[in-house]
Amino acid sequence: MAKIELTVNGTREAREVEDRTLLVDLLRDHLGLTGTHIGCDTSQCGCCTVHVDGRAVKSCTMLAAQANGATVVTIEGMAKGDQLHPVQQAFTDCHALQCGFCTPGMIMATAALLKDNPQPTDEEIYHGLEGNLCRCTGYINIVKAVKQAAETMK
Amino acid sequence: MSEKHAANRREDLRLITGRGRYSSDMNLPGQLHASFLRCDCAHAEIVAINAKPALKRPGVVAVFTGEDAMAAGYKDFPNLLTFTNRAGATLIKPERPVIAHGRVRFVGETVAMVVAESALAAQDALDAIEVTYKDLPVVVDAEAALAAGAPQLHTNVPGNLNFEWDTGDAAAVEQAFKQAAHITKLKVVSPRVVPSPMEPRAAVIGYDTATDSYDVYTNSQGIIMMRWQFAALTGVAEEKLRFHLHDVGGSFGQRSAVYPEHGALMIAAKKLGRPVKWVSSRSEGFLSDSHGRSLIMAGELAMDRDGKFLAARYNFVCDMGAYLTPTGTASHVRNPAICTTGVYKIPALYANFRVAMTNTAPIAAYRGAGRPDIAYVVERLVDQAAVDLKIDRAELRRRNFIPLNEFPYKTPTMGVYEASDFNGCLAKALKAADWDGFAVRREAARKRGKLRGIGLSTTIEGTAAGMFPKDQIAIEFDAQGRLEVFTVALSQGQGHETTFAQVVADTLGVDAHDVTLRESVQGKNIAGNHTGGSRSLVGAGSICKVAAQKLIEQARPLAAEALELEPSQVEYAKGVFSARDGTKSVGLLELAKKHAGKNPHPLNLVAEGSVGATFPNGCHVAEVEIDPETGVSEIAAYTACDDSGAVINHAIVEGQVHGGVAMGAGQVFGERVFYDPASGQLLSGSFSDYAMPRAGWVRNINISEHPVISKVNVLGAKGVGEAGCTASLSSLVTAALDAVRPLGIQHLDMPLTASRMWQVIQQAQQAKVK
Repeated sequence: MAKIELTVNGTREAREVEDRTLLVDLLRDHLGLTGTHIGCDTSQCGCCTVHVDGRAVKSCTMLAAQANGATVVTIEGMAKGDQLHPVQQAFTDCHALQCGFCTPGMIMATAALLKDNPQPTDEEIYHGLEGNLCRCTGYINIVKAVKQAAETMK
Repeated sequence: MSEKHAANRREDLRLITGRGRYSSDMNLPGQLHASFLRCDCAHAEIVAINAKPALKRPGVVAVFTGEDAMAAGYKDFPNLLTFTNRAGATLIKPERPVIAHGRVRFVGETVAMVVAESALAAQDALDAIEVTYKDLPVVVDAEAALAAGAPQLHTNVPGNLNFEWDTGDAAAVEQAFKQAAHITKLKVVSPRVVPSPMEPRAAVIGYDTATDSYDVYTNSQGIIMMRWQFAALTGVAEEKLRFHLHDVGGSFGQRSAVYPEHGALMIAAKKLGRPVKWVSSRSEGFLSDSHGRSLIMAGELAMDRDGKFLAARYNFVCDMGAYLTPTGTASHVRNPAICTTGVYKIPALYANFRVAMTNTAPIAAYRGAGRPDIAYVVERLVDQAAVDLKIDRAELRRRNFIPLNEFPYKTPTMGVYEASDFNGCLAKALKAADWDGFAVRREAARKRGKLRGIGLSTTIEGTAAGMFPKDQIAIEFDAQGRLEVFTVALSQGQGHETTFAQVVADTLGVDAHDVTLRESVQGKNIAGNHTGGSRSLVGAGSICKVAAQKLIEQARPLAAEALELEPSQVEYAKGVFSARDGTKSVGLLELAKKHAGKNPHPLNLVAEGSVGATFPNGCHVAEVEIDPETGVSEIAAYTACDDSGAVINHAIVEGQVHGGVAMGAGQVFGERVFYDPASGQLLSGSFSDYAMPRAGWVRNINISEHPVISKVNVLGAKGVGEAGCTASLSSLVTAALDAVRPLGIQHLDMPLTASRMWQVIQQAQQAKVK
């Protein structure tokens, strides 16, 4: 068993979990943060993307134990009270989601992308979202949302 | 937050903040976890299963095998195809025990189910189950399966042929072909795909001993269809099946049916007296989710000297995989038969369908469900005919469109088309796409070393005719007097909460935020159709309008009472009942609140209606650029002009077109399920090997609308969910073919992967050198 202490969405958490527990399972099953989704088991889909110490991470590729001491932000931690994060706002404004299952991962990936590259070109957005799959939208409105968010966060 | 969000989709707020509730988020107190052992061979006898070692593993509570499935009698799946062929024969339905019994027929079929205290414990125990197989010969290709001497999958399906059905007039077609000046023939495939909604399948099923009934939490396309199918599979009465449905992470037909795992979980929940949860991994999904498409289609089109179509003949081989799913056969046989004539006047038609079993995952409905496939073969034929006759592709279409004055048009097979303006739609699309100016863009591409082609499709699809004869909508007022609308439809991303509320609110003249939609709610005794087949706006959505109109009339006497007037003296406008002389008024919602708490609320009502088939159609124009050095294709431009009938929410309709076209692009350029022909092993079993469309595949779509209002429903809507898929397969493939035709390439089959395109280009160039 592994003893893990970490900060999730600003709250200190401590749990004892099986060594093999993935970060995504810690978040979903132990902390009840089901906004982070699991869409595959080969690290391709990006539904489970969260921020670990400020960087986008596919939380299915990381053991919970590796996040010991880390600061984690999930989709539940993006809005500040009633104030949506600009990326969240852009996704709803641009109709960049349909079923919504990939959306938390898309939003987390986008927020990290814009942190590294505040004004990405279309090509840079395609590249930046290569690790996130969406089956509903055809990505056109997702790319629009990334651009709107970049504009808002200027 | 709510104010800024107000103009956007109603469902978005919970979904962008991580508060959506999907199947894998559901947990019941005391639940156990299931994991399935799936066979690793494509066709084998199960000689022996020893589950005992698994029972000794930590946390394991029980192991279930095919014996349990047979004891429960869970082996006969319902099927939506109920008609007979001309000889009176029905579809032959092989048994499919919910856990394999005696034999396995595709890689990934369930052989045993471990139930344990945790999901990890259940998974860990799978490798302790000992199964002895005796391999049998394998066939994965549908034509090969129908050939003499092919391995036989089911004793009651001789020659692996479940059903042969034909429609149309073979003799009339034969006669027309004899008189034809030209006949175009081709054979195309619609390759097998994995629907791959982003949410994997999942279910939690509980059993209540006291009432001998079940609680089911699972992904679905609607309560009525699901309940009926569960009952048909298990023999459990519908009233003993309670469905608790919630957010669904996409479906595209893949969740339209009950699955074997559902039945297995019911067996376990009843036997163990505790709820049992199962969440599929994506790898399991590739093996065992229903797959889509997989048709081999031959077509012939006869025409006179001027390119006027005289007759067409089709021969379909429909791969169903190893077993029949509830929706697969109807998708591959009934749906294509409705639109064999495409948008063209073709006086004589004949189509033959053979339904075949192969050692592959079962096939079910997938976005369009046969509609994109028939549209694809029709459009490929028309395109090829234009090339053969050296007539402009748009002009050949114009000569053969069903003219406006011939609607409703009864096709020679199954369809009766509603009015559409194919010519107008084509003209609008060609203008938007600058069809006439293409030569300049081709030349510019050539200078960059790229091969650029243009393609178009003019397609139509039959939608809306539901399985259940009527759709009902309930309007109810809650304890606070707030307006709720109930439907049995269920969004899997379509945005019903926004659109349906908008329909009710617009009809009443109130704010959309005063209307809340509740979908597929357990215990609401209303009828109707599940969400699928581009149907829900046309069916449930239009009955929302009927219900709202009924509400106004039902409220009028109460308003009159409140205003102390005769009902005839009360007028209604913009959510308010007023005296004719304008002296006093009461708002509808205010009136409802006055009666809040009464049981039942006097304004509660159920409205219903029957909605017939309607026919969305459109013209899509694609431009594709291919790099001859790498074979990589790129969509350089895409224009879509659709007749979806009346549009309620343009943003949502555009989103559906985006998604549908991207899905078509996936099938055209990348997606392909590959089973090794010798072993039947699935070689494309993850997103690493299966090319899902990614950001940038479809960069922009130039969208316009050319609506001809439907008369089969009060909204005038025709539906849009599948239009993008239906139109894009042929527009994209013919654009690619147009790009490489100058090299002497006459035929292409999906998927146009870089390696395949590179190969055909290399071969063509080498042939030219020789």
